[in-house]
Amino acid sequence: MIKVTELRKTFTSYVKEPGLLGSLQGLFHRREVTKAALKSIDLEINPGEIVGLIGANGAGKTTLVKILAGIVHPTSGTATVMGFKPWERSNDYRKQMCLIMGQKAQVWWDLPALDSFLLLKEIYQIDDRLYKKNLEFLADTLMIKDQLKTPVRKLSLGERMKVELMAALLHQPRVIFLDEPTIGLDISAQKAVREFLRNYQVEFKPITILTSHYMEDIKELCPRIVIIKEGEFVYDGSLSKVQRLLGDNKVLSVTTGEKTFKVTVPRADLARKTTELFSGNDIQDLNIHDPSIEDIIESIMRTGVSTR
Amino acid sequence: MKRYFLLYLNFLRFSFSKAMEFRLDLTFRILMDIIYYLVNILFFKVIYLHTPLLGGWTEEQMLVFVATYLLIDAINMTVFSTNMWWLPFYINKGDLDYYLIRPVSPLFFLSLREFSASSFVNLLIALGFFAYTLATYSAPFGGLDLLLFVVLIVNGSLIYYCIQMLMILPTFWTHSAKGFIDLFYSLGMAMERPDRIYRGWLRILFTVLLPFALIASFPARIFLEHLDWGTFLHLLGVTAVFWVLVSYVWKKGLANYSSASS
Repeated sequence: MIKVTELRKTFTSYVKEPGLLGSLQGLFHRREVTKAALKSIDLEINPGEIVGLIGANGAGKTTLVKILAGIVHPTSGTATVMGFKPWERSNDYRKQMCLIMGQKAQVWWDLPALDSFLLLKEIYQIDDRLYKKNLEFLADTLMIKDQLKTPVRKLSLGERMKVELMAALLHQPRVIFLDEPTIGLDISAQKAVREFLRNYQVEFKPITILTSHYMEDIKELCPRIVIIKEGEFVYDGSLSKVQRLLGDNKVLSVTTGEKTFKVTVPRADLARKTTELFSGNDIQDLNIHDPSIEDIIESIMRTGVSTR
Repeated sequence: MKRYFLLYLNFLRFSFSKAMEFRLDLTFRILMDIIYYLVNILFFKVIYLHTPLLGGWTEEQMLVFVATYLLIDAINMTVFSTNMWWLPFYINKGDLDYYLIRPVSPLFFLSLREFSASSFVNLLIALGFFAYTLATYSAPFGGLDLLLFVVLIVNGSLIYYCIQMLMILPTFWTHSAKGFIDLFYSLGMAMERPDRIYRGWLRILFTVLLPFALIASFPARIFLEHLDWGTFLHLLGVTAVFWVLVSYVWKKGLANYSSASS
């Protein structure tokens, strides 16, 4: 399991005025800026659980994942993953863990994926039988068998992501960190990756943390979500219950002559607000519906936990 | 140990299959290096037109020394240099991530992953040149001398690697190690001169603080004169200290690594 207590991470950087003059000034006195990427995070994840980590760019998702994967040292606080402190990077921990970043490739660019896999087999000391079994299973379920002998640079983005997934899962990790695994993929490739991840979760029951900007990923894969905003958790709980956070609200989708927009209003104010809208605008279409999960999460990410 | 050996064999396999793909690059590299060797040999040939002794060595002895440092240079070019070239970029751009999550020493991985197959041919040429100078060398030497020489060549390559790493690792803090690396290459010239020409504080500088003189000059001395055990221990000791230093700075650097966000 994963247990995180009061985890903090601050980054220090220097700001410089733009231009050459600014650079010259920077030589003599620099303005130091500290940015808190994570402000006292607490988190507990049980074996077999898959948690969706949601937040805007720069909210601290990736920082949290990188601390748990042992890449970045925290400023203070503790975290243990299956009893290991990640940043001590013990081999025993790293053998049971994997990290997949949609933005950074891990397979060798110039060589066929199978070559990279062989190296990984050596690195993780996967024995021959298990290697064969996993290779076959992954290639079959991802339907990528025929492309494994082509140099990776000649594969499509979707095929490359599948190869990345294979590379990460060959050693059957018990902890999986997925940082935007579907980024840049077309709809059908996204679907394939999602379906694969769901089946994998059912079959092997690893602890998984998934970050994504695509709500579809979250809705399909994560019964539990954590919403992070400016380094703090603003929601940690089940996906289905997140709807209650906005309370008894309705969303009005309004189309006027030139644009479409959405207004969230408390149910009690519905009649008044609608009349108001009709009187001031040339309305061509109006829909009243319950807020979607996307709406709610977006609203939480923007304004924090709803305080109705 | 065996595991790392197997991993290294994999690196070799990768590098050679990659090198086969870029044949033109291969040809050019070999040509460039042959020119580099000839320039180095001619440089000393020209000097010996004007003087019979340099740093206490005759022309024949000097050729053994030149062959030695060309050999070390070729080893470095083949084994380390590509990795050393990329390392600052990796540190800066946050590309260490995938190396840090593997259950293997990331320092091993990052220092040795790219074996330069195209320089390997030059290593063979350098080795050939060395064998030639030794075969034509007039003074006698035995099997033990050869063995010691191999030990000191490995030792010299390690010193060279360590100094290079110490110039690159500041990238963790400065985010650009260009200045240090340039310094390394200009100081690196110190390796290509016989150590006897350094006296006083320069000698301390180049045999202890920035031990470039230990890299090639001392191994060559095995064939040229008597090398006492004290000197031998000094060489190994310096390597040990520098290795500890590299590991220490590497650890500190990783603790400071912020990994550019994706």
